[in-house]
Amino acid sequence: MQPKRPFFLNLLVFRQPIGAVASILHRASGALLSLAVPALLYAWMLSLRSAEDFARLSAWLDGGPGRFLILAGGWALGHHFLAGLRHLGFDLGWGETRQAARRSAWLSLGLGLLIPALMALSLWT
Amino acid sequence: MRKVGGAHRGVDMWLVQRASAVYMACFIPAFLVLAWGRMPLDYAAWRGLFAPLAMKLAMLLFVFSLLVHAWVGLREIFIDYLHVLVLRLGLYFAFWTMYAACLAWTVDILWGMH
Repeated sequence: MQPKRPFFLNLLVFRQPIGAVASILHRASGALLSLAVPALLYAWMLSLRSAEDFARLSAWLDGGPGRFLILAGGWALGHHFLAGLRHLGFDLGWGETRQAARRSAWLSLGLGLLIPALMALSLWT
Repeated sequence: MRKVGGAHRGVDMWLVQRASAVYMACFIPAFLVLAWGRMPLDYAAWRGLFAPLAMKLAMLLFVFSLLVHAWVGLREIFIDYLHVLVLRLGLYFAFWTMYAACLAWTVDILWGMH
């Protein structure tokens, strides 16, 4: 029998270490990208099928919902890519000290946000 | 004995996830550079990008890596959060089938261009 201990597991009140934030967002962005695959293939098919479909798709992507999806996709892919490189680094034994791991977690989160920010800048200017 | 739908294929999956990740991590920047070189990307330039056989093959391998990577990742998520075996197997099967169809679709997109 486990001894009876105080039990506290309110995830909304817990302050997660930055590595945990980078990790759960790596998972969330991966799930989003996985579900987006058929939609991306559909868009890719349209873009190559005919000049009219290419123009239709471009126009739609230039509108509000299209731009939102581009930015969301830029964040998801950017963060997933960078956090993934971070994990590949760990596999090779790189950056495993606590300080280095915290720094790379911040870096993946920060650069992951910088990508859609730069995309937004180029979309609206 | 391995349990059906269980989490005991870790090493294989770990390796597959890394191999596909490394290929995509090389392909995506290379693709972006190539596409950047053809700016402004109008319809003709965009199609031209996928015309060479080498690009078709690299792209097919990319989508294959993406699908495998996505499936392994989703499988991990199902194992963590979904503890009803029938539902978990159902989702494995659903995504496996959907992604297999996506791969065939990719072949059709790439080689159906004229």
